[in-house]
Amino acid sequence: MTDAIVSCRGVSKIFGSGELAVHALREVDLDILSGDFATLAGPSGSGKTTLLNMIGALDTPSSGHVVIDGQDLGSLSKAQLSDLRLNKVGFVFQAYNLIPVLSARENIEFVLELHGLERDERRQRATDILREVGLEGMEDRRPAQLSGGQQQRVAVARALVSRPRIVLADEPTANLDSKTTEELVRLMYRLNREMGTTFVIGTHDPRVMEHSKRHIELLDGRIASDERTG
Amino acid sequence: MIASLAWRNIWRQPTRTALSLIGMAFAAMLLVFMLSFQFGSYDSMKENMLRINDGFGQIQPPGYKADPEITKVIHDPDGLIRELESIPQITTASARANGFVLLANGERSFAAAVAGVDPAKENRITRIPSLIKQGRALRSGDSAAIVLGDALARNLRLKVGDQVTLLGSGMDGSVAADVLKVIGIFRTGVPEIDRQIAHMPLDRFRETFVMDGAVNEVAIIGRTLGDILKIEPRLRKIAARHDAVYLNWGELQPAIKQAIRLDMTTAALMYATLVIVVVFIILNTLYMSVLERTREFGVLLAVGMKPGQIGRMVWMEIIFLSLVGVGIGIALGMALAWYFGQVGITFEGMEQIFSQWGLPSRIYPRMTPFRVLAGPTAILVLIALAGVIPYRRVLGLEPVEAMNA
Repeated sequence: MTDAIVSCRGVSKIFGSGELAVHALREVDLDILSGDFATLAGPSGSGKTTLLNMIGALDTPSSGHVVIDGQDLGSLSKAQLSDLRLNKVGFVFQAYNLIPVLSARENIEFVLELHGLERDERRQRATDILREVGLEGMEDRRPAQLSGGQQQRVAVARALVSRPRIVLADEPTANLDSKTTEELVRLMYRLNREMGTTFVIGTHDPRVMEHSKRHIELLDGRIASDERTG
Repeated sequence: MIASLAWRNIWRQPTRTALSLIGMAFAAMLLVFMLSFQFGSYDSMKENMLRINDGFGQIQPPGYKADPEITKVIHDPDGLIRELESIPQITTASARANGFVLLANGERSFAAAVAGVDPAKENRITRIPSLIKQGRALRSGDSAAIVLGDALARNLRLKVGDQVTLLGSGMDGSVAADVLKVIGIFRTGVPEIDRQIAHMPLDRFRETFVMDGAVNEVAIIGRTLGDILKIEPRLRKIAARHDAVYLNWGELQPAIKQAIRLDMTTAALMYATLVIVVVFIILNTLYMSVLERTREFGVLLAVGMKPGQIGRMVWMEIIFLSLVGVGIGIALGMALAWYFGQVGITFEGMEQIFSQWGLPSRIYPRMTPFRVLAGPTAILVLIALAGVIPYRRVLGLEPVEAMNA
């Protein structure tokens, strides 16, 4: 399990220009390997979110190369980047970001529809993954009818259902209480172990870092340390 | 599911959606009703004016309309009438001869247009027999008889039973003179007709004007004007076979046609303004709804939805909303048009002006697929086209910028 899913070489990201230019990332070299359960930490403004956006093909670097599963982001069109995100990457956001007018199951089915799956298969896979994240019986509830922790579980299920190569989570526990945080981290860790899904989690939360098998520390847009802990 | 999502998105802000729907439905209802009313009044205007004297169409010798000389004739009216009456859409075809004469009563004389008509058929073509105010209409068997408009009778100081002298020019150039008995006086409400027109039996006319069996025109009528319009090409061919020309309603009544066209132009401007205002109001609402959801669109882009798919979803929302709004408007507009189609609409104090244009005092909206669908379709098409604006905005979204919006 040593093949790199994501490879960053000399990646820099500059927002703005001239005197107002902000260097969010500076010459970052990083490989995310298949099966990693990595945390990305660092103080605010250190470039965590920017790096996660690069790894997730949400943004492209100002210089350098990001290669996801053999595809260089710099050579892809908007539509190809969408396809890449759909097929290779799952996202979990701090604010859950579920579609409010769809039920838990429909939020998940929606992603499967983008993959072109038939209705019956979509329904089956959505039901299965919701059971997997402990939300059996809550399939038809809309996000507003779920707690923060339950919503985040739906978000994890949505990120995982299409079996992506990598799941990126940006501060996934920031809005959760400690018990829910613990449950969520255990869930992600279990999915990493059992399904082999690669996780990269941007976080300040020590409870998340505890489970991390690889800890990457960012400082002023550079990788300050990159340690394997498990 | 994208269609289902689009439908549910519409109802995120039920109050705003309801207000948009009311706006669209009201505009569509107004358009359906107004178009049905307007075109209904045109129908009444055309049919009433044509039924007063002209009929729904006429076959005349070439050039007769522009220069109605008595010498321009159709020599075989009976054969032409037989051919015309064999067409199912034509209920009656009637021959007429016309002369411009001087009518005199004692020392008073006035110019008039006297038509020789077939009394047996004329009451099926024109409304003059039913508009007799004094005396009676012409009947088969009448000979030295005349009915005339009330203004003409008043000018000549004639009453029913009086005799009037007719002086004109015969087809052969001889002097045509006759003495006729006034048997009826009609009032159509159209001043030009009431002041100038008189009818006498066709046989007596042809005898007086030495027409040798010929006539100047054959007027036709059908169940509706629409029926006659449908067979216009056939009528033109028949006319040509008889060395004559066919004149449709617009050629017979160019003033009415022009008035309708002018009225339609002004109304079209009003309708266009209404449609454009509604479309911009709706577009503004929809654009706001797109701006509000920029962050959510960013998330959809992040999970792998293509910008074009999101754009189509937004466009679908616009179409769904428009279909519901316009659908409600069509239903309400049809209900309104149907109701007033039964009871009619009166305009107090306008009767005099209306009668000059052949309009009855009570106007009835009439629906046709065009009148019902033209306005709402314009709203739908324009909103669908205007939907390009939010669609293009969505296409330009970048996931990170959108999620941070």
